[in-house]
Amino acid sequence: MVERIEDLNLPNAVVGRLIKEALPEGANVSKEARAAIARAASVFVIFLTSSSTTLARKQNHKTITAANILDALKQLEFESFVDPLTSDLETYRKVTKEKKDKAKTTNSTPAANASGANDEDMEAEKAT
Amino acid sequence: MDTELPLSRIRTIMKSSLNTGQITNEVLLLMTKSTEMFIQKLTKEAYGKVKDDNTLKYKHLSQYVQKEKNLEFLLQIVPAKIKVKDFKKILELGDVNSSSDSEDERQSK
Repeated sequence: MVERIEDLNLPNAVVGRLIKEALPEGANVSKEARAAIARAASVFVIFLTSSSTTLARKQNHKTITAANILDALKQLEFESFVDPLTSDLETYRKVTKEKKDKAKTTNSTPAANASGANDEDMEAEKAT
Repeated sequence: MDTELPLSRIRTIMKSSLNTGQITNEVLLLMTKSTEMFIQKLTKEAYGKVKDDNTLKYKHLSQYVQKEKNLEFLLQIVPAKIKVKDFKKILELGDVNSSSDSEDERQSK
């Protein structure tokens, strides 16, 4: 949990890099402006979490879903985020599904399982 | 799926203020990506206020925040700054008003 207030800050280096990427070539950002953007981003997380939680509660859910976040963004007038996030989400789901399928096929190879079990039995016998 | 901001920190912030239930990996990913987009959108649009030396300063951000309806939640986070000189003027104006009020009261009595 949060022990120090600094735990709510986002890392300066990463925020600085994101800002630099968004600015045109040769543009600069003052230290004070960078700190303000970082602070704003932390508050944005809390704001979006709270709005998404409210939407989840309305559906009698305790846990926020991806759809709750997308709906909250629309509600808060950040519609422009929805399309890129939806495609990120699709990619993420595809990748995790592929990983799962792979894990299943390797686990269910009977030979591997059998030999594993035998090894364990032998270990147990030695121990006794 | 890569993110630039650390997921663990975003999770900490999400859990800090609310009794948010479990946070799934999907939700954490979307939150982190949204925050990255938010930082870049805020930067880009506030930079539109820069006129002279290609440097994004605090005042550009606060001007931009004042004007955008969907950034109302930031009004107290990025407030417009005021000079001590001007603040004193406001205080003096307040004094003048209050003293004239008391005069009115006296007259009405």
